[in-house]
Amino acid sequence: MKPQNHLFVAYILLFLLAGCSANRNLIVPPPANRDLIVPPPTNRDLIVLLPDPDGKVGALRVTTKGGSQILDKPGYAAQVGDPSKPPIAPKPIDENEITGVFGAALSAQPDPTGRFISFILWFENDKTKLTDESKELLPEIVRSIQNRKPNEIYVVGHTDRVGTELYNITLSARRAYYVRDFLVSSGIKASALVVSFHGKAKPLVYTEDGVAEPLNRRVEVIVR
Amino acid sequence: MNHINLRRLFLPLVTIFFLLSINGEAMSADPSPVIATVQKVSGMATVVRQGRTISAEIGLEIWENDTLHTGPDGSIGVVFNDDTLLSLGPKSALVIDEFVFAPSQGKFSLVIRMLKGTSAYLSGLISKFAPESVHFETPTASIGIRGTKFVVKVEGE
Repeated sequence: MKPQNHLFVAYILLFLLAGCSANRNLIVPPPANRDLIVPPPTNRDLIVLLPDPDGKVGALRVTTKGGSQILDKPGYAAQVGDPSKPPIAPKPIDENEITGVFGAALSAQPDPTGRFISFILWFENDKTKLTDESKELLPEIVRSIQNRKPNEIYVVGHTDRVGTELYNITLSARRAYYVRDFLVSSGIKASALVVSFHGKAKPLVYTEDGVAEPLNRRVEVIVR
Repeated sequence: MNHINLRRLFLPLVTIFFLLSINGEAMSADPSPVIATVQKVSGMATVVRQGRTISAEIGLEIWENDTLHTGPDGSIGVVFNDDTLLSLGPKSALVIDEFVFAPSQGKFSLVIRMLKGTSAYLSGLISKFAPESVHFETPTASIGIRGTKFVVKVEGE
C-alpha cells in the first residue's frame, strides 16, 4: 500500500459574521448525536475542514489572540467566539449544517478536475537510485504527462535529515535531475520541466535532525 | 546568367537568424498583474480595484489587492494561477492581499483577508510548495496550513 501524502492540501470552509449585523437565521436540524456541533450563535466564526476532491485531508492551525487549535479531521469545525480566547476545540459538524451554511459558496467553487496532479518517487538511502516500487511508477508518470499535455511539470528533490545541509542540497539536486533526465529521455519536452531542490529543508515526515527517514528521500513530480 | 550575390544576402540573413534565436525570456514584457480568473458567478458579485467597482463576469481577471464582494443573492468562484480555488457565498467580502507564484525563483506567497460572509477554499500549488507561506486571515483569527505530521507509513518498508 502506498503511503499517502496528506500534506499541504486543505479544503476550508469559512463562515464569518459581518461586524455589527446581528441576526443570522440558521436552519437547525436537531442533532442526532450530542457530540455534534450546535449551530453558532450570532457572535461566532466557524471554520470547517473538508477532504479534498481526492479524499485527502490536510490540516489547519487556527490562531486567535488567545491561542491556537489544530483542525485535522474531516467534517470537524472550530469556532471562534471571544477572540481573546483560543478557538473552541474542534467538533464534528452535521452535513446538513454544512450545506445550509456553505451551500452557496460550495456551489460557486470552480471545477477542481483538471487541476494539477502529483506523484512521489522514493530513493534508496544516500543514493540517486529509485526504490523498486518507485521504478514501477515511472511509466505511469510518463503516460500521465503524455495524456494531459501539461503546461508545466515541476520536479522537486528532497532528502531526509541525515547529513549536512550542503551535502543534502547536492543530493536532492542530483535526485531531481535524475528524474528530469529520465522524463526527457522518455520524450517529455525539456522546456516544460522546472527543477528545484530543497536538501533536507522540507521533510514530508517531521524528524529530528540526523534521523533517517525513507519517506523523506524523495522527488515530487507535479504535473500541471 | 545572373546569379544571386550571396555576399549581399549575408548580413540580412545573419540578422534574421539572430532575431529568430532570441528566446522569449530575453524579450519578456512586463509581468502580468493577473493572479486569478473568475470561473463562476451568480447574482450580484463585484470586484473593487483601486476604488473602481467592476461587475464580475466569467473570465474577469483578478489582480492583487482586489476586493471580492457578493450581494444577498450573489456568489463567485475564482481560480488562481497556482490552481488554488476560492469561492464566496452571498453577502460576503474578501481581499486578496498577496499572491506570488514563482516556482523557478522559489518565491511563494498567498495572503487572503476575509471580511465577512462564507467562503470555500481549496489549496493549490503555493500551499504544496510552501505551505508556511499561505495565510488566511479573518477579523478574529489567522488560519495557517500546518506542516508535516500526517503521513501514514507504509508497512514492511
